[in-house]
Amino acid sequence: MLRRGALGLVRGATSRPLFMSTMASKTPVEDVIREKITAALHPTTLEIYNDSHLHAHHKAMEGSASSETHFRVVITSEAFKSKMNPARHRLIYALLKDEMAREGGIHALQLRTLTPEEEERRRAQETAPATQAKSTQ
Amino acid sequence: MSTIKAITTLKGWEHHVSSLPPTTLLIVSFHAPWAAPCAQMATVLETLASEYPATEPPSTSWVSIDAEELSDISESYNVTAVPFLVLIRNGQVLETVSGSSAVKVRNAIESHAKSSAQAGPPQTTDGTNGDTATVDKKEEDAEPKDTEQQKEELFKRLGDLVKAAPVMLFMKGTPSEPKCGFSRQLVAILRENAVKYGFFNILADDEVRQGLKEFADWPTYPQLWVDGELVGGLDIVKEELASDADFFKPYSTKASGDATAATS
Repeated sequence: MLRRGALGLVRGATSRPLFMSTMASKTPVEDVIREKITAALHPTTLEIYNDSHLHAHHKAMEGSASSETHFRVVITSEAFKSKMNPARHRLIYALLKDEMAREGGIHALQLRTLTPEEEERRRAQETAPATQAKSTQ
Repeated sequence: MSTIKAITTLKGWEHHVSSLPPTTLLIVSFHAPWAAPCAQMATVLETLASEYPATEPPSTSWVSIDAEELSDISESYNVTAVPFLVLIRNGQVLETVSGSSAVKVRNAIESHAKSSAQAGPPQTTDGTNGDTATVDKKEEDAEPKDTEQQKEELFKRLGDLVKAAPVMLFMKGTPSEPKCGFSRQLVAILRENAVKYGFFNILADDEVRQGLKEFADWPTYPQLWVDGELVGGLDIVKEELASDADFFKPYSTKASGDATAATS
């Protein structure tokens, strides 16, 4: 049994209580996704949703022990500028190549890849109709 | 490009067979409408047939027969299970392939189509495998092809396949029976936009399934290709539509009021 004091570096989220760092993360795949994308793309937005539970009963998932198979990731980064969607997604696929190739690794990856401008534009689109309605009343 | 003719009567069969010149390779597909693997095989064969130009005299003739309806014909070729493929030239059975291995089917057809005197498929492999080694269960061909060459051929095939229709969907399952939620959603989107498209069931052909991932440098399915270029998967298609509602307009049949049809 490790004593807390004997531990060296504490890696990862500071929101975790100290003793948790001695245990393996319950979401290793998600952690890798976050680490790799952050390091490579310095995203201003990074949201990772684990949709695995929605597919756990599917035929393709029969016999799978993993609870981290299907992810939906939203990324906003300058790195996507001047790249079309397929190129942006290929960037991410390349980063996560090992996790996707691995048996029991990432089976499905839904991506939303935006530049900061696009994210802003989309946000404006979504809120615009509401404000317009207000202003005509 | 060749298409598959459905033979529905014994007379029709006899007439068709007698009308073929002795050099034509007759490709007979026995199927049963209730058997799911037959639907997949139909797709594989349609795609294959489309790679063979319709020549005069015909180098290949493709027919499909309901094995139960025309049981006399099935019996004469010892069809005991479906899907079942029989290759005939000049009245002689060259080879039969039982089961749903798309690879076996393709190899059998290609090897015999090549040994015909007429123009064969666009592929150019060195043509020494005219002889049929023990048919059935052997997976690999008579002679080992150079792997580099095999890959080149595969990529050439894929290059043609992605252009088989202006909009091509490589999916798991078929539009009427999708085998994956993302494939199902993409089919629904195409239908909503009244898009005319061709589809390929990658579950029916493992060579295409793995090869296309490499060819496209894209690890997942479904894959939507437009005018020979990869657009992406479900997520990208949704994004494109979100930024441009008319994304599919040029490929839509809304004007003519047609229901979406899957073309081969």
